[in-house]
Amino acid sequence: MSEPQLSVRDLSVRFPTTRGVVRALNGVSFDLEKGQMLGIVGESGSGKSVTAKTLMNLLPRTAEIEGEVTFEGKDVRALAASGQKHFWGVEMTMVFQDPMTSLNPVKKCGEQIAETLRYHMGRSRRDALAEAEDLLGQVGLPDPAKRVDQYPHELSGGLRQRVVIAMALACEPSLLIADEPTTAVDVTVQRHLLNLLDKLREERGMSMILITHDLGVARGRCDDVAVMYAGRIVERSNTETLFSDSRHPYTDALLRSIPRIDQPSHTRLDPIPGRPPELINPPEQCAYAPRCRFAQADCMEAVPESQGVKGMQEFACFHPANTDRGREALASNVAAGETAAGLPVTGYAGGGA
Amino acid sequence: MARPESESNVSDTENTDLEAGRLAVAMAEDGPDEAVEKTLGFGFWLCITWLSAIVLVAILAPVLPIADPTDINNGPLKEGPSWSHFFGTDNAGRDVFARAVWGARVSLVVGAFAITFGLVVGGTLGMIAGYMKGVIDQAVSFFFFALLSFPALILAILIVTTFSRTLQVVSLTLGILSVAPVGRLARAQTLVFAEREFVDAARVIGAKNGRIIIRELLPNVLIPMGGLGLLGIGVAMVAEGGLAFLGLSVEGESAGQLSWGKIINESSKGRALSDYPHVALLVIAVMFATILALNFAGDRIRQYTDVRETAF
Amino acid sequence: MRNFIFKRVLQLVLVLFAVTFSTFASLNWIGSPLENIVGPIIGGTDCGAVERGELPDTSSAGGGKTDCELVREAEEEFNLDRPVPIRYGIWVGEMARGDFGNSLIGGTEISELVSQRLPRTLKLVVYAQIVALGLAIPWGVSTARRANRGFDRVSTIGSFGLLSIPNFALGIVLLYAFSFRWNLFPSTFTEGSIPTQIKALTLPAFTLGLGLAATYQRLLRTDLITTLQDDFVHMARAKGMPPRHIMYRHALRPSLFSVITVFGVNTGALIGGSLVIEQIFGIQGIGALLVTSVLRQDQPTVVALISIVAVGFVVINFLVDLLYGWLDPRVRAT
Repeated sequence: MSEPQLSVRDLSVRFPTTRGVVRALNGVSFDLEKGQMLGIVGESGSGKSVTAKTLMNLLPRTAEIEGEVTFEGKDVRALAASGQKHFWGVEMTMVFQDPMTSLNPVKKCGEQIAETLRYHMGRSRRDALAEAEDLLGQVGLPDPAKRVDQYPHELSGGLRQRVVIAMALACEPSLLIADEPTTAVDVTVQRHLLNLLDKLREERGMSMILITHDLGVARGRCDDVAVMYAGRIVERSNTETLFSDSRHPYTDALLRSIPRIDQPSHTRLDPIPGRPPELINPPEQCAYAPRCRFAQADCMEAVPESQGVKGMQEFACFHPANTDRGREALASNVAAGETAAGLPVTGYAGGGA
Repeated sequence: MARPESESNVSDTENTDLEAGRLAVAMAEDGPDEAVEKTLGFGFWLCITWLSAIVLVAILAPVLPIADPTDINNGPLKEGPSWSHFFGTDNAGRDVFARAVWGARVSLVVGAFAITFGLVVGGTLGMIAGYMKGVIDQAVSFFFFALLSFPALILAILIVTTFSRTLQVVSLTLGILSVAPVGRLARAQTLVFAEREFVDAARVIGAKNGRIIIRELLPNVLIPMGGLGLLGIGVAMVAEGGLAFLGLSVEGESAGQLSWGKIINESSKGRALSDYPHVALLVIAVMFATILALNFAGDRIRQYTDVRETAF
Repeated sequence: MRNFIFKRVLQLVLVLFAVTFSTFASLNWIGSPLENIVGPIIGGTDCGAVERGELPDTSSAGGGKTDCELVREAEEEFNLDRPVPIRYGIWVGEMARGDFGNSLIGGTEISELVSQRLPRTLKLVVYAQIVALGLAIPWGVSTARRANRGFDRVSTIGSFGLLSIPNFALGIVLLYAFSFRWNLFPSTFTEGSIPTQIKALTLPAFTLGLGLAATYQRLLRTDLITTLQDDFVHMARAKGMPPRHIMYRHALRPSLFSVITVFGVNTGALIGGSLVIEQIFGIQGIGALLVTSVLRQDQPTVVALISIVAVGFVVINFLVDLLYGWLDPRVRAT
């Protein structure tokens, strides 16, 4: 098998704060093949943004990082330490959530795109601006010649996000990380933007990591989806498998908490009970156990290792959903009325086990 | 699509540590490198100590065992600091330390009175303007602007020369000068707060305007004004110093009419500075330390009470 | 835009009126202009009684005119027999024609005095502001970069110190150190070649400029720290732009707005406010003239000078507002 384009091994990130050491990432490992689209899904605090920022060398100085990140054979962390100038923004770029604030309000749009071309690729000002105009056309902006000279506040949210995308793609990166690119825009615009990203990805043979909290966005666009919880990847599968045959109880619970069109009407939703995970001095147990309907005694004593078939489905759980072990665990919990963690359990409101 | 975020049944008290954790991550990712300190700090208390000492000494001046500040030929002329005269003597043989002590009285009184006047008058006007808006606001703002357009020191000079040069007049003059800057701040703060819902809520219950201003807005506006208060005393003292330096502060030669600015003025004219610099420099040092203490303490208070307010 | 300009001009006019009238009135109602002009003895003469024959006419001053003749002359020239508001109106008319009147001291034309002295003050102000900005920008940038660490903490103490020391005190200290102790700079200002003037103005300019620099630096630092947390800065870092570029080409401009506002206001305020410094360093500028004329009750000069300073202040404020609008494209759009 050929080498993956991006390889992350045992990445851990800690932030010392006045309240204690926050463990934002705990042993995150994943691979990304060239041209692949990976979705990373999780709630706020799950570590998805921190992962992206680690890859992009955007963490504050106080962050303590361990682990390996290899991109196209290069050691990314070593590049960061050595002050490499022409890597980020060129090979690997990122698009942020809010286009309103991602653009400098006092600079013209064209200028903001052009500056990467001038700095990284050595283009002259005139050439850079001409290319910027061309890029704006590629991202579907009407009348690019006019837009180049406009300021960000003169454009609507959706158009602004396109400008940001153009800015990110100017130097033809091999990997684009999009951190919640559609959260701050209208639903209708969302679809257009995602289509645009798809199109560009195909045209350029680019890989993409799409970070989102919205499962629906991930489905249908991503090849693989990784689910994160409390700074770990708890499940990674290719998309269809995830949606039809997930393993990790958290994934399972997520799927059950969203209304789905194929369910009968008035089906009750199952919210996920319990509290968000503790990130400062976390106990040595499965982080999801306190909220997991399947939780057993062993879940409270050790952190589950990742298992499964790489490239198909990997997960980290002692009593995974949709397996016999899992079903037994759930049944015993229902019978006892509560899980090993003390969470009260009844049958699923939405039916099924 | 609903967010797959948990419907947590979290009680508020339990939330704090978890929230702190998340907040820490968020801050660590985006915010400043270190958390803002939540204590007033050693520096603050140091300043308060110095200020208290100065005030105490100033109040107790008449009964302290120090020399008579107007007594000429108390000692050798123009001598530098010594054990018998801590700050040395000036060109008329007067003990400079005693003069500095007595000088503190006028400087402090003027400073305190001026800022109090400014807070009361300016603050009231500012709050009324900010709350009532409309024509009243325009009129008051215009008044402030006109007052500010008058070169401050010139206005002070004008008033002081037109009327007499007593302690009361000087204090009042500086008070008048602080009305505009204080008033503007009060007005700005009021504008921000008056838009918030608790004001509407009070109105809905039927509270009258005056009551709203006093009960709802005043406590909120007072907080930033408090920090400004200490700073303002410093500014007023500097202004008095400037006036005194021009020879326009409190008139007279008695001990009760000495101010730091006056002493500095006298001892830096002509050849004085080259002949006996210690007088001017030492008094400047004392004045500087006091104003520094006021500024620092005032700023610490402002930072301490300002933490959760949005800057604007 | 038109509306804005109109409102501002109206404001200028109103402020000028308020300022000048109150000065005029206070000097004329409360002071005694007649005595200022002809002196207390002559001014005290009861000319009404003289004309009625009750008192003999006297001639205290030499020169062949009786006291009452002098009084009448003064009254005519300065319109003292008319009520104050009318006098004010006449004065406004004269000012509008560019006739500022004559000083009571020596009778020099005020406009001449102004044209001599204003440039000196302006040179000082400009020099001071250049020093201030020249120091403040690099200082602010470097402290924002290393916020809350070693250098920043030390410099906070430093800027606090500069802010706390009164102008005149700093002036004296600098004067003592660099002029008396180590004879590097002259202690008074003299006209001369450009380098001479610059050298002579250096100490006073730094006296004013250091305090200003501290203010600007603190403002800039605060705004920069805020701006550096904005997303577009993160975006620029994500694009791989170098830190220097991000600081100076991205973060600096939006962070300068507060500084510029204060800078503008200060320029206006300094014209009248540098008078203490002018005194210390022997600069014969507008401020010094203002002080002496107030002390000597030279009413025409005082009113004229105050008006000029007030005009300067309002006009500069107005320009600063315009500048602000031009600099921030978001405001421009409205």
